[in-house]
Order: sequence, then structure tokens, then C-alpha cells
Amino acid sequence: MMQKIELMAPAGNFESLQAALDNGADSVYFGVEQLNMRARASINFTLDDLQEISRRCKEKNVRTYLTLNTIIYDHDLSIVKTLIKKAKEANITAVIAMDQAVIASAREAGMEVHISTQINITNIETVKFYAMFADTMVLSRELSLRQVKRITEQIEKDQIKGPSGKLVEIEIFGHGALCMAVSGKCYMSLHSHNSSANRGACKQNCRKKYTVIDQETGFEMELDNEYIMSPKDLCTIDFLDQVADAGIKVLKIEGRGRAPEYVAKVIKCYREAIDSLEKGTYNKDEVILWMQELEKVYNRGFWNGYYLGQKLGEWSKGSGSHATQKKLYLGKGMHFFPKAKIGEFKIEAYDLTIGDTILITGPTTGAKEIEVKEMLVNDEKLDKGLKGDSVTIPLDFRIRPSDKLYKIVENKVEA
Amino acid sequence: MVVVTLQRNKCIGCNYCVELAPNQFRMSKKDGKSVLLHAKDKKGFFTLKSYDHIIFDDCEKAAKACPVNIISVKDI
Repeated sequence: MMQKIELMAPAGNFESLQAALDNGADSVYFGVEQLNMRARASINFTLDDLQEISRRCKEKNVRTYLTLNTIIYDHDLSIVKTLIKKAKEANITAVIAMDQAVIASAREAGMEVHISTQINITNIETVKFYAMFADTMVLSRELSLRQVKRITEQIEKDQIKGPSGKLVEIEIFGHGALCMAVSGKCYMSLHSHNSSANRGACKQNCRKKYTVIDQETGFEMELDNEYIMSPKDLCTIDFLDQVADAGIKVLKIEGRGRAPEYVAKVIKCYREAIDSLEKGTYNKDEVILWMQELEKVYNRGFWNGYYLGQKLGEWSKGSGSHATQKKLYLGKGMHFFPKAKIGEFKIEAYDLTIGDTILITGPTTGAKEIEVKEMLVNDEKLDKGLKGDSVTIPLDFRIRPSDKLYKIVENKVEA
Repeated sequence: MVVVTLQRNKCIGCNYCVELAPNQFRMSKKDGKSVLLHAKDKKGFFTLKSYDHIIFDDCEKAAKACPVNIISVKDI
């Protein structure tokens, strides 16, 4: 039986949130203040943003999930209560929780609870246990699809229901980074940098180059890949039919730390893939096109994760991204003339030529990618705008002074 | 004089500074972030100036341990 799959998008800031909304996400998850797995301030919302997030999502009928899933100390208990209270006031759909204190506080406040991947659910009895508190649960990222399917079938068979009275919904990660350790149990960053991944401050030192030396003899082990701890990124778009067949209800996209154009591209591809599965038109040719699109944005190379149960040890071959495209900052938005539908930008770096693909990002604009077909440079019809020039481009959407203009260029990947 | 600064809004509440310099730092029960005791707030930068050099070592340990590098300690 084909289930309707909810596509859940990451939102690290308003740019990404808007990109997720514009590209067809069914729900978004985000962190507020410090108690989430991406606690570093630059990629987080504040308490005051909750109302605006809720308003924007409500307009598009998109569900909102607040991540509150770090380990919790005594001194955090009060802010936990404050966050839940504010989330409830802002009509946020649910709280994604790991610590029992958060689960208890959310239930007490009458908030829906989702179980975080940090709890690492790997069996049906654990599902039964958490069904006392939660309606949706993310399974461990280290399970195979066969194991996932057994759990979803058992939920149906045993009629395991959450507090809402409906059958427990199972969610899995569909795309994005994977950890070298069992997700959420890694203390590597804490040991090396005093920076706990379990408080959302992972330094990602697994992503670096390492050599292995036998301390007794001083011999260095010969390894064909020095990135011995950095797994490739998870991608499931090429076997999404099998993912759906495992009976999951929610497909979660990782990447609250990634750029808005990443969110836009990945959500667009998975939206199309899920829709084509529902229509019954999902096929290999489409998959090839989606894969090409996904390779354009940040990635460490792709693999199937643990879902298909084979091919363990897929290590990344570089520290950064293997993306086939990158963005160059050109300048910022200056004016928008709504009647003529023309946007004016000031070029501060590089140049812009007709035929270039540009990316415009901003907190309200999200991430929009278009090809430049015509433009005026300093009010003259020219093919090329240089640094210092003001260019006007016809646009079918509004731009703002906070918007940034980029050009998309090919990225040479080191082999 | 010892000058200690805490850029409080970036704190992730890990508690290390309190473990290492318990006489200078406390965790706020209100928002779960670190508080530099007796410090003056200037646009989010909380600064403590002290002539008592005894606080230097502990504060420096806290600064080194801070995972988000928001504590600075200077001897001037």
C-alpha cells in the first residue's frame, strides 16, 4: 500500500525556511536559542522569531517542529519550559525531543512530541515505550530498510498508538550528512575540542584528513584514503520506492547548517520524487536528472547509508564539498519596481553576463535561481555588467535590500 | 588589572566555565546561559575588571575550554 509521505525540511534561518516553503516542503524543523543539535548562534533562530516562523508556515499549511534535542542539565530546565511555552503560544505543531525532561515538559504543556534521532530507536519495544508520549518517532539512521519495514508492520499489527490515539508514525532521514559514530552518541569533538556534539556544538573533526601510526614502532599504516572517518552523504532518491515500501510516513532532510540554495534544490528534487511516486511515474530517467541536480549543491559524495544493508565503509574523499557548482557573490539588491517587474542590483565583485545563472537569497526572498536573459547595465542595453555597475533584470518575484546576488559557476572537484 | 569579557548571546550553556572558574561564572536559571559575575553589559559584551589577579588562571582555563570562544581574558 502506498503511503503519503511527508517531506520535512531543515531551516537554519529565514532564507532556508523560505526556500523550503517555496519548494514544496510539507513540514519544517528548526532550532531556537541554544538547546538543539546546531547550537552555534549563526545558524539559529531566536525566541522572538517563533511567531514569524509560525505565521509564514501557516500561510502555506506547513507543519512546524521545534528541535529541543540536546542533553539537558539542571540549569537548562527553566529555558526548556520557556521554549515550550513560547512554542505553544506560537502554535508550533510539535517539539522534537530527546531528554525525558523535555518530553515530560512538552506533554505537561499539551504539546505534541516527536522522538529525536538522538534517542536511536532500533526496535519495536522501544517504539511501544515511547508511544506513551509521542506520535512520531525518528528511527536510528543505522537501521536497514528491512528493519524499518519490520517495525512499521509491527506498529500496524499491534496497533501501537500515540497519545493522539492515531497509529505511531515512523520517520527516517532521507538525505544529508551522516555521522561516523552512531548518530548522536559521538564524543570525538568533545574530547578533542571540548565541544560537545550532544550540546549541538560538533566541530566535525571526523571530516578531516588522518594518518594512522603505530605508536610502538612508529610505522605509518598505508591507507588508500586519508579521510578515514568522514562518511559520504546519505542520498535515497535513487531507491525512494523502497523507502516508501518500508512504510515510513515522514522523510526528513538533514541540513540546518547548510545554505538556502541547498535547501531549495534538495527539497525541490525530493518533492518531485515523492509526487512522482504517488502518481506512479517514478522511473530511472527521472532519478538520473534528480541526481545531477543534487550533485550541484554541497555534498561529500553520495551513498545509500545503511538502508540497503550492503557496502559499509563509504568514506568521503575530501574534506569539503563535492558539489559540481558553486556560488560567487556578485552584489546586493538595490530597488524593485513592481509595475515593470524589474529588480536593480549593484555589482560589487566579479561580473555578470547574459546567459549566466544567478541566485538571489534573502530572509524573505528565500533562494531563487534564474537565468539572465536580458538586462540593462547603467540603463544601457549591454551584454555584460562589471564591478561597480548597476544592473536591472526582469524578475517575476520581488527583491529586497537585504537580498544578495550570486552567480552560479562550475566547481572543479579534486579527484 | 585583569579584564574578562563574555559575549553572552552566543553561549550554548555547556557549563565548562562554571566548572573551571566557579567564583566568576554561574549558569543563569532563567535562560540557561553563562553569567559573568559583577560584569558590566555593553551591547552584549559583559566585562569584568578586577585588580585581584588571583582570578586570572581560572578565567583563562574557562576561556580555553569554551567551545564557542566567547570568553576573553587579558592582563593589562
